[in-house]
Amino acid sequence: MFDIHQAFRRSLQNPEIAYPLAAIIALTELIENSDAGTMFELVNAIRQGAETLKSKLENPIGVDAGCELFIAFVTLFHHESLTLTDLKRELIRQGQKYAEEAMTYRKKIAELTVGFIKDGSILTHSHSRVVMQTLLLAHQHKRISVFVTEARPRGLGLKTAEALIAAGVPCTVVLDSAVAYVMDKVDFVLVGSEAVVESGGLVNAVGSNQIAIIARAAKKPFYALAESYKFHRLFPLSQYDLPSHNSKILSFSSPSRPTRSASISRPAEDTTTASDPPTASASTNDTEPTSSTSITQQQICKTNPHVDYTRPDLISLVFSDVGSLTPEGVSQYLVGMFAG
Amino acid sequence: MQAERGQHHRSVEVLASKLRRRQIVGSRTAALETLVVLRQVVSRARFSNFEQLVEIIRGVGRRLVEAQPKEHSVGNTVRKVLHHIREEYQTAVGQTGPQAGTSTSGFSISKFVLQGQPRRHVPAQKTEVKTTLKEDDPEDPDSFSKGLKPVLMEAIQDVLDELETVYDNVSKNARDHIHPDEIILTLGRSKTVETFLKTAAHNRHYTVIVAETGPSYDGREMAKSLSSAGISTFLVPDSSIFSLMSRVNKVILGAHVILANGGMFAITGSLIAATAAKAHSTPVVVCAGQFKLTPLWNLYHEYGAVDFGNPSDVLGFNEGELVNKVDVVNPYYDYVAPEFIDAYITNDGDHPPSSIYRLLKETYDDEDNEL
Repeated sequence: MFDIHQAFRRSLQNPEIAYPLAAIIALTELIENSDAGTMFELVNAIRQGAETLKSKLENPIGVDAGCELFIAFVTLFHHESLTLTDLKRELIRQGQKYAEEAMTYRKKIAELTVGFIKDGSILTHSHSRVVMQTLLLAHQHKRISVFVTEARPRGLGLKTAEALIAAGVPCTVVLDSAVAYVMDKVDFVLVGSEAVVESGGLVNAVGSNQIAIIARAAKKPFYALAESYKFHRLFPLSQYDLPSHNSKILSFSSPSRPTRSASISRPAEDTTTASDPPTASASTNDTEPTSSTSITQQQICKTNPHVDYTRPDLISLVFSDVGSLTPEGVSQYLVGMFAG
Repeated sequence: MQAERGQHHRSVEVLASKLRRRQIVGSRTAALETLVVLRQVVSRARFSNFEQLVEIIRGVGRRLVEAQPKEHSVGNTVRKVLHHIREEYQTAVGQTGPQAGTSTSGFSISKFVLQGQPRRHVPAQKTEVKTTLKEDDPEDPDSFSKGLKPVLMEAIQDVLDELETVYDNVSKNARDHIHPDEIILTLGRSKTVETFLKTAAHNRHYTVIVAETGPSYDGREMAKSLSSAGISTFLVPDSSIFSLMSRVNKVILGAHVILANGGMFAITGSLIAATAAKAHSTPVVVCAGQFKLTPLWNLYHEYGAVDFGNPSDVLGFNEGELVNKVDVVNPYYDYVAPEFIDAYITNDGDHPPSSIYRLLKETYDDEDNEL
C-alpha cells in the first residue's frame, strides 16, 4: 500500500525542497502507484491523498497550496486523445518536470531581487531558503549587512545568522521584541513566505506581521519573496481564519485557583481584617509554585501560533519567479489559474 | 550590404548624438524621432529570419538608450515597436503565439501558473496576410523580409499614429475629470496637462492655480498660455503651494516617467504639491501618454534615479562671492511614490497606480525589459 505521507517525508529530506513542492512530488508518486481505472477515480484518489497529507500536519498551508495547484492542473489537463495509462504517464512526467523546473525558481527570484538591493542594511525574519540565496547573491555585488530576528519559538533566525556569517556577510541577531528598535537602521525588510494568499497578503513565520506594521510606521519598504507554487487560494480576513489556527492557540490554561480566592475578591469584607488577605494569598503562592513560576518554553510554544498573516496593504512588493508583483498582482495570477 | 549597414547606422548615430547633447527635449519628441529612425532601419534592414530582425531593432535601441539613458521614452518606443512587430509576425506566420500552448505537448504546470499573467487579448486574427512566409530560405534569403516588411511598416505606423494623437486622446475625457467652478493646481509646463486643461475649458468654467516651478519657472509660461486660452489663471510662488492647498479641489500633474510600481518621476516641485495634497486629502491626478510607461521597478537603478539640471539656474556666477562657498544642486525630477497619486489619465484610459504594472505587461514583452 502506497503511503503518501512517507513519500512526502522522503522528498522533504532534500533540504532544497519546500512543503508545496514536496506535496506535488508526493502526489505524482501517488499517480504512479494508483490503480484507478477512470479519470474520475484518479482525481478522487489524488484528492484523498491530499486530504490524508494535510490531516497529518499541524500547519497544512504550504501543502495545501501545492496540492491545490496540482489538482487544478490535473483536472484542467487536456486528455481527450489519451488513454488513461498514457495520461497517467504524461501527468507523472509533468509532475517530475515541474519539480525539476521549480528548483531553479529561487535563483530566478534572487536575480530579480538583487536589482532592488543597494549598499546598506536589510532586516530579515527567521530562516528562508530563498531569502538566503538572495542575500548571498547580493553579497557578491553589494556591500550589505543583515539584521535577522531570532524568530521565537523555533529560533531559526540563528540558523540564518550562522550561514550568513560563514559566508562573510556582516550579520546581527536581534530579538523579536527589538524590531522597532532596529527599524530605523535598515533600508528595507525582506522576508520569505509560507504562502501568498489571494488577497495578496502573506502567511509567514510568526512575527512577520508585526515587522510589517513597524516597517509601515517607519515608512520602510516590506518585500516578500515567494516561489509561484506558494500562491495559495485562500482569503483570510483575520489571523484566526488561517487553517493553522486551532483552539489550543491563545487558550488560557485551566485555572487551578486557590480555594480562598473568592474571599479575596470581595474587598468589602476585607476592611475588618486588613492584614489577613495578603498573607493568605502569599501562602497560596507558596503552596502552588508550579502554576505561576515554571512556565516552560514548550507550554508557550503550544499556545502560540507558528505562522501569522500579513495584510496586503503592508506589503510593498512580492518577488516571485513570474516577476515582481504588487500584492494585487498575486490575486490576478490566482484568479487566472483557478478560474480559467 | 556593408554600405547599407553604414547607412542606417548614420541615422541612428545622428539621433544618438542629438540625444546625447540634449538637443531633443521632451519625451514625446524623443519618442517620435526614435520611431522615425526605427522605420528607416526596418525599411532598409536585410534579414532572413525573425530573430535577426529583432536583434537589429534591439541593437538600435541599445545604442540610443546608451546615448541618453534618462530619456526613457526612447527605450519604451523601441519596446513597443518590438511588441507590435512580434504580434504582426505571429499573425502573419499563423501561430497564435506562445500563450496558446493548451495542446497537450506544450502544457505544463509552470505554463499553467502563467495563465494568470496579464496580457492583452488579441482580437480575432486578421486573415489577410497568409502568404507562406519561409524563414531562412537558402535560395532567396530576402524572401522572408520582402514578405514581412509591409506588415512591419504598418505596425510602426500604428505606433506613430498613436504618438501623434496622444495629447488629444489623453484629453478626450477631460470634461469628466474637471467639474464646473473647481480650482485646479498644477505646476511646470507639461504639454499633456496644457492640452488637457484647454480641452476641459471648452465645456467647463474653472480656475487654475499655476505654481511658478523654480528654478526653470516653466509655470510662468504655462500660466500665460492658459490665460490666453481664456481660463482664469493665477500664478503663485512655489512656497505658497501648501497654504493654498486647502482651497484646491484637484491637483493635476504631468509626468516624465511612470514606473512599474505606480510611482513616477516628475518635474521638481511635484512632490511638494503631492505631499501637500495628501495632507489635505486633495486628489492628485497625473496626465501622461502611454509611451511614458517604463518597465522599471527600481528606484536604485543606475540611471533611473535623479537627473541634475544646470546649477547656474539656482545660483549664477554673478553671485561670485558665494559660488566658492556652497554646493549647488539643481535636481530636475522628483520621485513621487504611488501612494501620493490617485489616478493616471492616459491615452489608454484611466488607471490607478496599482494597475500600472499590468498595463506594462500588456504593452511590452517581458523579454525586452532589458534591451
